[in-house]
Amino acid sequence: MNPIQTDIVVLGAGPGGYAAAFYAADKGKKVILVEREARLGGVCLNRGCIPSKTLLHATKLIKEARESDFRGISFSEPKIDLSKMRAWKESILDKLSGGIKGLAARRKVEVMTGRGYFEDSKTLRVETAEGQKFIQFDKAIIAVGSRPALPAAFDLGNPRIMTSTEALEIEEIPKDLLIVGGGYIGMELGTVYATLGSKIVLVEAMDTILAGADPDLARPVVKYASENFKEVRVKTKVLKMATHKKQIQVIMDVDGQKKEELYDRVLVSVGRSSNSADLGLKNTKVQLDEKGFIKVNAHQQTADESIYAIGDCVGGVMLAHKASKEARIAVEVLTGEESIFESIIPAVVFTDPEVAWCGLTESDARKQGLPVEVVKFPWAASGRALTFDRTDGMTKLIIDPETERILGVGIVGHGAGELIAEGVLAIEMGATVEDLASCVHPHPTLSETLMESAEMFFGYSTHAFSRSHRKDEAEQTVQA
Amino acid sequence: MEIRVPRLGEGADNGTVISVFVKEGDKVEKNQTLIELENEKAVAPIPSDSAGVVSKVHVKVGDKISVGQLIATLGGAAGASAAPAQNPAAAAPKPQAAPSAPAPVSYAAPAAASAPYQYQSTLGIAPPASPSVRKLARDLGIDLGKVRGSESGGRIVLADLRDYIQHLQAAAFSAPQAALAPVVQAPAKPAAESIDFSKWGPVTKKPLTSLRKKIGEKMQESWNAIPHVTQNDEVDVTDVMQWTKQYGADYEKKGVKLTLTSLILKACVQALKKYPGFNSSLDETTGELITKGYYHLGVAVDTEQGLIVPVLRDIDKKNLYEISKELGELAEKTRQRKVSLDDLKGGTFTISNLGGIGGSHFTPIINRPEVAILGVSRGVLKPVIRNQKIDQRVMMPLSLSYDHRVIDGADGARFIREIVKSLETFPESEIKLGNAKKNSEEPAKSAKPQKEKVAAGKGKK
Repeated sequence: MNPIQTDIVVLGAGPGGYAAAFYAADKGKKVILVEREARLGGVCLNRGCIPSKTLLHATKLIKEARESDFRGISFSEPKIDLSKMRAWKESILDKLSGGIKGLAARRKVEVMTGRGYFEDSKTLRVETAEGQKFIQFDKAIIAVGSRPALPAAFDLGNPRIMTSTEALEIEEIPKDLLIVGGGYIGMELGTVYATLGSKIVLVEAMDTILAGADPDLARPVVKYASENFKEVRVKTKVLKMATHKKQIQVIMDVDGQKKEELYDRVLVSVGRSSNSADLGLKNTKVQLDEKGFIKVNAHQQTADESIYAIGDCVGGVMLAHKASKEARIAVEVLTGEESIFESIIPAVVFTDPEVAWCGLTESDARKQGLPVEVVKFPWAASGRALTFDRTDGMTKLIIDPETERILGVGIVGHGAGELIAEGVLAIEMGATVEDLASCVHPHPTLSETLMESAEMFFGYSTHAFSRSHRKDEAEQTVQA
Repeated sequence: MEIRVPRLGEGADNGTVISVFVKEGDKVEKNQTLIELENEKAVAPIPSDSAGVVSKVHVKVGDKISVGQLIATLGGAAGASAAPAQNPAAAAPKPQAAPSAPAPVSYAAPAAASAPYQYQSTLGIAPPASPSVRKLARDLGIDLGKVRGSESGGRIVLADLRDYIQHLQAAAFSAPQAALAPVVQAPAKPAAESIDFSKWGPVTKKPLTSLRKKIGEKMQESWNAIPHVTQNDEVDVTDVMQWTKQYGADYEKKGVKLTLTSLILKACVQALKKYPGFNSSLDETTGELITKGYYHLGVAVDTEQGLIVPVLRDIDKKNLYEISKELGELAEKTRQRKVSLDDLKGGTFTISNLGGIGGSHFTPIINRPEVAILGVSRGVLKPVIRNQKIDQRVMMPLSLSYDHRVIDGADGARFIREIVKSLETFPESEIKLGNAKKNSEEPAKSAKPQKEKVAAGKGKK
């Protein structure tokens, strides 16, 4: 069989892969997009961002209904039809995935369904339903993504031990659910299941949950979990799991003490690993690091000059928008433009309340000993936050005292994920605190908290009384 | 308490750890040297900025580290009170030109402001500019760190980029040779070819040290940029050598070694004063000759790692004793690679003395931006005809390389003759220690520690 010739082949149709394929096609390249699954969109669309957010939205309604009693609005207990909820969720995924397919067709990007395998640095073999196909490419972009890590000790083949993939299918609402790992996936899914009625015990090996976020940003989420979960145990390691009738027996070490308990289901959310195995990379010059992530430089180039890699499979923060940005860089570099990864990547945790941050975090600044200034605006001073009884929020800015440039923004509270985008814009544009303070923000909105935190830096925030921050700081320095 | 790599100076943001002096559990004093960092210019000792007990050392020999990186963690009693705000970034010297106020953008009068603008941030972050401006700069190959931002916080906007490009163009027109030089040179550089030498016999491979690379770059740069001419001559040093030997013992008693190099330095200053063109630099961007009213002479020092040229300042204001003392100390510091970057800057003329090794005339390469260098070789006993008689004299070869853009051949010859003359007529009284005291204050302090230093230096060699 004659190999198919193409300029670019993209392996994997997640938010990195399809973005790369479309962009390359928009730049006039002949592109083939290879995806092993029938439904395009990758983890983000099928088993990650989108399904988890649909479930979070649906279950949030339950919580809000329950909490409306004191406002004079009462509902009876909700009836939950899981199969209907699943079907609704699936309909959204189908719609999005169909959209991607349509966009591919209009750009004349050929979508090939099947597993891809590198024969050499210029050839990809694809195992399709119609048999093997060979693609001869000029450049390849690997965007095969990642999957939830399931340590071998937990992998009993028992469907009651789930990863995020299975948990998002919500086959049932387990009475007792153990969540192993207090990162954002465990916290988000814990929120969904807690609202549906599961009693949740969340265990985390480190001494804090949401370890990546500044402790003050994570605090409201920790408070939520302590009120809505049965228990949160830090410094806890799961030692062993075993099938026990229709339950899972779990032995764990809680800060030095052994504990043995039974759970209906267990969700393991302890990280994600790269899908870089079984791609035939050994037939190319592509190199992997010790954890199996594909090694790339800031131009997304692998050690093989005709192969680029982007997204989760190269490691770093595993977020869809990081993959999409890397897609742009890879395509720009391989079409001869000067391009390099230098963007800040915002992070959002869709817990209750949401946590979001971008740029330099306060913890990192302290760790690196950078003499930054930090201002924090409590949402108790925001009229908008009061209107929906969610004053458990905070907006903070990390500032370079010398140039007064904004280096980082952190937000915890209702809708933090939407608000953080302004922080990204401010940092990328090199905005100073004064720039942010001088922009008129609409009232009454939560976006005002960004403006007011900037005003606090100068000591003249309208709704929060503070002495001149700079003056305080100067005094503190003298005292220290 | 965390000890991090402080800001060391321009172009010295990173380096290789060449020695680690502490280990976990060691007690350290404030300012005690923890590690030594080798960068392109020198070896910098990194001191601890507080006292305490080392709880962890985060670097090892051979590590490449940069500003802000963790060197060691101090724990324990002594250093516990340090507040997090008082970190090395704060303690490190602040860059003078903080672009906090939106200064009017101006690249005018480049002659006065010979140092180009360079963005500096105590936090070590890139200059502020929007993504679109950053992209444009990348496409044009412009380093945004060199562009002065006009907006608040020093933010660079399109107009700033345009000003900077105009400034570059103006500079290119006003000094065509400088602007053209790289264009002409670029194609001249032969393509590097990888040859497998092991085909013909056993070989060993080892990467160039950063010092070696820097020396190579400087030499190449100087050789390419400057049309060199080397003028040779010989000087009769019979008398001065005799006196050096004779009075050297007095110096020795004070822990100072008197060498011919000190005398040559003196002689050079005399010649430089008479021919100030040799004590100058050519500003290639403005096409101006800058003549200096000070006499800071570089002395090439042969170290185990390679050539380093520390600078002795104000030779004209010092007597032989002071010069000899300073020369000995500076050379020793250089050999141990303890010289600071400042010790290597600001020279106006250089001497490279290979007399201790041997050989005759050679072609020294000018230490740019200086315009001349004097190479000195070993003096040998020669038959010399004087007053129709053959005499035995110690003749020492001198080789003067000069920048022919600035200096003509006749002046080259005059200058070297002046050095010869002043060495041959060097007044005995200036060498004699008793007389020297008159010129300046008594050489201070006890001689003992200095003596030890010299002895240690000898032992090492």
